[in-house]
Amino acid sequence: MAVDRRGFLKFVAGVSAGVMVTPIPWKLLDDASIWTQNWPWIPSNVDGASTYVSTVSKLCPSCVGMKVRLVGDRPVRVLPDDNHPLSKGGISSLAVAEAQMLHSPARVKRPLKRAADGAYVAISWEEADALLAEKLAAAKGSLACVSGDETGSINDVLSAMTGKAGSSNFYLMPSEAQPAAKAVAAMGGEGQLGYDIENSDYVLAIGANILESWGTVIRNRAAFKATRPHGEEPAATFVFAGPVQNNTAAGADQWVPIKAGTEGAFALGIAHLLIKAGATADAADFSAFARLAGTFTPAKVAELTGVNEDQLKDVAKALLKARRPLVITGSEFGQGTGAASVLAGVAVNMLLGGLNRKGGLKLLPVAGPVVDGAMTRAEMLGKDFVAYMSRINAGKDKAPAAMVFYEANPAYALPQAAKMAEVLAKVPFKATFTTFLDETAMLCDLVLPVPMGLERLDDVATPYGSGQALYCLARPVAPMPAHVKPAGDYIIALAGKLGMDLGVGTWEEVLQAKARAMGADWDSLMDGNVHVSSSTVNAQPAFGAGMLQKGIATKAAEGDYAIAPVHKLNVGTAKTAIPPYNNKTIRRWELQGKELYVAMNGATARKLGVMKHDKIVVSNKSGSISARVNIFEGVMNDTVAVLMGLGHTAFDQFSKGKGENVMQLLTVGFESGTGLSVWNMAGATISKA
Amino acid sequence: MEIKEFKVKWGMAIDLDKCTGCGACMVACQAENNLAPIADASNKIKVMNWLVVYELSNKKPFPEHDVAYLPRPCQQCGHPPCVSVCPVVATDKNEEGGIVSQIYPRCIGCRYCMAACPYHARYFNWLDPVWPEGMEKALTPDVSVRPRGVVEKCSFCHHRFMKAKDKAIAEGRDPEALADGDYVTSCAEACPNGAIVFGDLNNPDHQVYHLSRSKYASRLLERLHANTQVYYLSRREWVRRQLDNYLDNEKVKG
Repeated sequence: MAVDRRGFLKFVAGVSAGVMVTPIPWKLLDDASIWTQNWPWIPSNVDGASTYVSTVSKLCPSCVGMKVRLVGDRPVRVLPDDNHPLSKGGISSLAVAEAQMLHSPARVKRPLKRAADGAYVAISWEEADALLAEKLAAAKGSLACVSGDETGSINDVLSAMTGKAGSSNFYLMPSEAQPAAKAVAAMGGEGQLGYDIENSDYVLAIGANILESWGTVIRNRAAFKATRPHGEEPAATFVFAGPVQNNTAAGADQWVPIKAGTEGAFALGIAHLLIKAGATADAADFSAFARLAGTFTPAKVAELTGVNEDQLKDVAKALLKARRPLVITGSEFGQGTGAASVLAGVAVNMLLGGLNRKGGLKLLPVAGPVVDGAMTRAEMLGKDFVAYMSRINAGKDKAPAAMVFYEANPAYALPQAAKMAEVLAKVPFKATFTTFLDETAMLCDLVLPVPMGLERLDDVATPYGSGQALYCLARPVAPMPAHVKPAGDYIIALAGKLGMDLGVGTWEEVLQAKARAMGADWDSLMDGNVHVSSSTVNAQPAFGAGMLQKGIATKAAEGDYAIAPVHKLNVGTAKTAIPPYNNKTIRRWELQGKELYVAMNGATARKLGVMKHDKIVVSNKSGSISARVNIFEGVMNDTVAVLMGLGHTAFDQFSKGKGENVMQLLTVGFESGTGLSVWNMAGATISKA
Repeated sequence: MEIKEFKVKWGMAIDLDKCTGCGACMVACQAENNLAPIADASNKIKVMNWLVVYELSNKKPFPEHDVAYLPRPCQQCGHPPCVSVCPVVATDKNEEGGIVSQIYPRCIGCRYCMAACPYHARYFNWLDPVWPEGMEKALTPDVSVRPRGVVEKCSFCHHRFMKAKDKAIAEGRDPEALADGDYVTSCAEACPNGAIVFGDLNNPDHQVYHLSRSKYASRLLERLHANTQVYYLSRREWVRRQLDNYLDNEKVKG
């Protein structure tokens, strides 16, 4: 059969039409689409039964309660825990990525020893044990120990070991709890300051970043949530006073701009107005305090703090009008403040009748030590690591022969960080118990990997900022990596090897003893429940007027511009650096590539002759950082806001080399009266780069 | 074009006066929906984020300045501009609940939908997702991982919707009449400030039904008539004004 041209074209047209009406091309396209997306290097989902375990975060400073979702034995999500008093259905931007942090590239996977050429070599635990025992024995009491865990019973073990070695040099990393403890001592009170935010109808946060990072922040925010029905008038007023319109100011009903480091003067200005309006308090030194407050007239406070006088008066009026007002003083970046500003804040609460009152300030009971020879919490908080480092630097104290760090990263987190690293270099032997290879680990001779909070049994006892005494356990929910060891049992065994008797055999015994001391039921704690106590310490504290008078004197900061560090939990902490899942939350004009952006308002930029994106150098006698300019009108005049948590020189690709560390610019001073190290009033000069 | 209506319409009411911009919702979203981390996240054009928290400013100089934060998930438009432009029906709005779907294996990566979306809620995988070694163990089993060449977007945690329906069926309840709170997205669940309320916009028993009718509620770029299912609430007039392109002399709702 001959096929003519017409027949051929008909055939082609028929085939084309036929193919088009069949599913063949569509199926092929579909398959091509599917199979070109199905590559072996793309991870597949692994199914399994889901279970949920309640625990508490040891990674997030808010000690947020959380429910961990496991698929099989893999933790895949960290979820809020409605039943935990430090979560109340919320979770922090840091803790929410904790399951992913288990697999962080910065994790230390096995013990590391610094070799002669300065490089790290992996060693066995036996070798690490022998080296640590040898060095600590050789140190013969010339030992210092630094803990970055503020709420755990590990401090009992560490301080006992340090004490039994013949040293009193056990320190906690700086935080807000230390000036608060000094303030309580100066008032002649006892216990830990607690803040009943839930029951307050007017919360004035002076410096304290209560909706982003201060204290038990997720619980603070649960209280904020509870008083704010969607789209309706709030049932409680939140006011924030600070130099930057930060996340707390964004949520607050009112932002009162005051200069960094002038929280105490602002509080005394309020006290002055309250006393003028007839407020009084039943304290032995009321008249001395009234005399001091009398000098803080609105005009003087405006000059010292930069506050608008009318705003100051309005706040005082609103406090008097409120039924259950609460005043919280603190530092915008969670450290570096003196006891005087806490004392001034407590004084305002006392004038408002807010001590041990519902919706006020409370004195919470603190459990005693549970390990032989351990320091009390008050003793621990009385020790000042920055002052110790400064003394070593000045040659007033000898550098110890050995220094042991536990989940602490002083080489990054202390003020004048570069100087602190220099001082650390004077210590002949340094060992660290750490989860991540941080800046301090990079300076150490021995790095001992410890499990993360999700992999170990640990505890949390009444974090600073909590409104009530509480105790709960972090329970191991994930399998521990092969070559890491929990520090509690390890240190107890190490102490035994060194011939010290801590009076406990295991870490679990320590926790059980702490639970008893807190009045908690162990079985209930192990079921994931939280022990909460409503008891308070009965006290009739004084104002601590003498100490306040000495400490409140503000010194002029260096340079023409003030530095206001901005602390945000999403950027991580010194211990975690920026978690891999969190760097997307850093704003466009906070960090670009490796370049830091600092924020200033338009007036300041005009004064400096700079525009957005211009390169500048911010420097003072402590150090200098280079950055680009972002214009943000929520910053006070002559102030530059610098995001904390950047400029890591260790960790992983998510953190290392990004931006600059603002701690380099924070200069240490000492508070008159208490002698406490302070660094909340840094100044700098700014020049175009 | 006619707007598709459903008996059940999942939506959000986000109170911008309660959001403080902490970013917990963004991190929770990534972990729940298996978005890969990226070493340099400062190139915001190429970073994959189903939910972004934007910063709003009243543009006044210090000290009159005010700030607000706006979390932006997919707005799940009633009349989705992305659906009508997709040449392969990889995205559609036809399921009870009114969630705009995104079928990854069907997507050919033409990015018409991205061009059409007025909210920049869609993201294209320029690169294959890479997790640091071992971190793939923390992937949830609920959401498939998307490869290079595919567009993705917020699904209102659709897998949670399926689970809630399965649970309702197992308990003998009507899966089309879920109670308030039976199904919530990961971002709404995580928010410590309770700024995000999620529920059925058509069900008077759900809080979001009433919030969407608040005098302070309005939608992003409302006058495009995309009829979105995400409502924003603010008592601040300047915040509501920034939700659409209002002229200076125009009056804003609320």
